[in-house]
Amino acid sequence: MATGNMKDIKRRIKSVSSTRQITKAMELVASSKLRKAKQRSENGRPYFEAQYELLSEIASVKKDFSTIFTEPREIKNRLFIVIAGDRGLAGGFNSNVLKHAVAAHKDDAVKPKIIAIGRKAVDFFEKRGYELVGRYPYFAEKAKTGNCMDIAQIAGDLFAVGEVDEVELFYTAFVSPLVQTPESAKLLPIANIGAGTGDDNGLITYDPSPEAVFDRVVPKFLMSMISCAVVESFASEQGARRTAMENATDNADEMIANLSLVYNRARQEKITNEITEIVSGANALS
Amino acid sequence: MTPFKLQIITPDGVIFDGMTDNVIVRTTVGDKGILAHHEPYVAAITISKFKVRIDGEFRYGAISSGVIKVSKEKTVILAQSCEWADEIDVDRAVHAKQVAEERITEYSKANDHKNLDIAEFKLKRALNRLEIAKLK
Repeated sequence: MATGNMKDIKRRIKSVSSTRQITKAMELVASSKLRKAKQRSENGRPYFEAQYELLSEIASVKKDFSTIFTEPREIKNRLFIVIAGDRGLAGGFNSNVLKHAVAAHKDDAVKPKIIAIGRKAVDFFEKRGYELVGRYPYFAEKAKTGNCMDIAQIAGDLFAVGEVDEVELFYTAFVSPLVQTPESAKLLPIANIGAGTGDDNGLITYDPSPEAVFDRVVPKFLMSMISCAVVESFASEQGARRTAMENATDNADEMIANLSLVYNRARQEKITNEITEIVSGANALS
Repeated sequence: MTPFKLQIITPDGVIFDGMTDNVIVRTTVGDKGILAHHEPYVAAITISKFKVRIDGEFRYGAISSGVIKVSKEKTVILAQSCEWADEIDVDRAVHAKQVAEERITEYSKANDHKNLDIAEFKLKRALNRLEIAKLK
């Protein structure tokens, strides 16, 4: 049997091992990017926490405290900020977060406006006829907080002029390098800001007024929320890609092992056949 | 003078965490000097220069909008971005200045006020950085 067959198997082994090389390389790249992304997200945390503390302290100063950013209103139009990746091959990473965003507005009368971060998100919502008020492809990897300020500004402005009544953020939370879950968080109106912790509440002097400081802080707060979410999503993407590529590499290994087994068996069979032929030929002669 | 604890925090990390005895920042209502035992105080900071006295010597830095919060145990400056004078990337600031100037002429022709505001903001930041970079 099977010289033709053996050639086929050999070719397949070759193609699987070159695929394996690629998946292995992608796995390594993803894990090094993951390490960097985790570092970045740790760097940003103190700022975010200090920001949150400040907002909650201001909010707890006065009971009758209210600004345009805290007042709840009737929700007619919503704005979704959706963060997905720029590339595929990351398991369910992109589709999970996009599905999560779509499921969140299935009962709404009007489609939400979208700010899409990541090429996959831009493509997805453009294809489905959503109104995109912001497009940020190839953004996450090099995202500086300054760039997130632009997004926060757009969201804050739309909310302030009443074009949208609610702003929600969709991202992928980094639970562990193996587990990432799509999450959403309400950005505006700001509700449930907990009471402050400091004991000098009410004694703080706000220059010029608590409301003025609060309104200055809100865009920064949005910005740091968004930038935290972008960094975290990026870490999740790398985690998801690493897992996916690790699986692919393992599968390739298994396939190569199976194919080599089949190949060796065929080779052995061929040799046995040849020997039998030679022996029977020799027997016939003698 | 009595030292107190100061933290300068930006989204990219903690820039400074240590003791000082005098901090001067420019808030939306004017320059403000903070010494030890200042009353609890919160104000917004504009794009400006700030000074911190460490071991008897003033250190200068550039800040682009933020908030200062003084409480009993420490003073915190939350800044969108913040660099010490000797850490400013001058080439980048020069480039940012050029880009912002081009944009301003472009947008003012097109009467695009929203983008004009953003470009002016960026120009201010670049100019602030360039000015402070000379102080190192």
